[in-house]
Amino acid sequence: MSAPAVAIADPAVRAAFREWLLRVADDELTIGHRHSEWTGVGPDIESDVAMSSIAQEELGHARLFYEQVAGDDPGGADRLAYGRAPDDYRNAVLLELPNQGWEFSIIRLALYEAYEGLRLGLLARCGQEPVAGLAATLGREERYHGLFASTWLERLAGAPHGDAGGTAGPRAKVQAALDAAWPYALGFFETTEADEVLLGAGVLTQPAAQQRESWEAAVRPLLARCHLTVPVAAPRDGGRRGLHTADLTQLHREMTEVWRSDPEARW
Amino acid sequence: MDESWVQTLQAAPDIWAVFLQARRRDAHVYVGDVHASDAEMALLLAKENYARRDPCVSLWVVPARDIRATSGDAAEMFAPVTDKSYRFGGSYRQQQRVYRGGYQTAAADGDETR
Repeated sequence: MSAPAVAIADPAVRAAFREWLLRVADDELTIGHRHSEWTGVGPDIESDVAMSSIAQEELGHARLFYEQVAGDDPGGADRLAYGRAPDDYRNAVLLELPNQGWEFSIIRLALYEAYEGLRLGLLARCGQEPVAGLAATLGREERYHGLFASTWLERLAGAPHGDAGGTAGPRAKVQAALDAAWPYALGFFETTEADEVLLGAGVLTQPAAQQRESWEAAVRPLLARCHLTVPVAAPRDGGRRGLHTADLTQLHREMTEVWRSDPEARW
Repeated sequence: MDESWVQTLQAAPDIWAVFLQARRRDAHVYVGDVHASDAEMALLLAKENYARRDPCVSLWVVPARDIRATSGDAAEMFAPVTDKSYRFGGSYRQQQRVYRGGYQTAAADGDETR
């Protein structure tokens, strides 16, 4: 049992905390939907099932965080998930991009899970229940997601089980996927005024620059083990301020279709 | 040596047999196969394909081609010819406890008493 929710007294901090939770939920919702697009067309039936399972879990996590934001409002979590316009979403742009190929989805999953693990750690130390307890529990499920990504990535990139190198081999495709994903991944660390407020209130205990350092310390050894080169690139962000690509508009249209057919329905 | 009753399973090299242990001290039970390039990948895929619904505390994976099996025509060796009911001993709980267990992996070697 988690402790009862204690409302943050300061409205500015409360709004900033809400924004943080929406980033988490929107991240999980968008990547969950993208992963679910592999259902039925994965590279093999086993990985198809596993990726679909990961997709379900990400959507489940999204729901838990939407519920935290919605509070006692009945149907509020669904309205947050499906009833907002695309520019109200606060997910990092990386997570809304189409799958493109299995190697892109695997690279994205690896980069995202390293970040997600770090962020759940920060949420677990935010001092706000029940969010902190929730974050500590979810970390256990995310561990498999990270393992799935790194195990697949090592094999796609040919390490340590032989050489898949060369310029046309699988590793070249993985490198191209990393080159495409990396600048967007740096968008995880985009900040708004909310970050300052949360840091000032002690709810957030690590500034974005340090988060990025911790994240790079986690992903760089994996990428090096896979003989992949980390590109030098400026962040492609905007998501935390609601600036998204047309890919989110397409994804949004598709994932909200059922909800829009009857917004008042109880599921 | 007569090995006519021993056979190797006919399986592709990327087929791994999956054994699931539902509770500590239970035997690992064969539940199906996965296609995988190596043992780590086989365990990774087995986890989501066989342990996502039912209880599980441990998985084994074994290359299906490494399994040795009795051949089909050996089946009659298993059929009793005379009454063997004196061997059954189904009501002996100690015997049941000994039969359970089998090989334990490091993680499953708890301090539970039998």
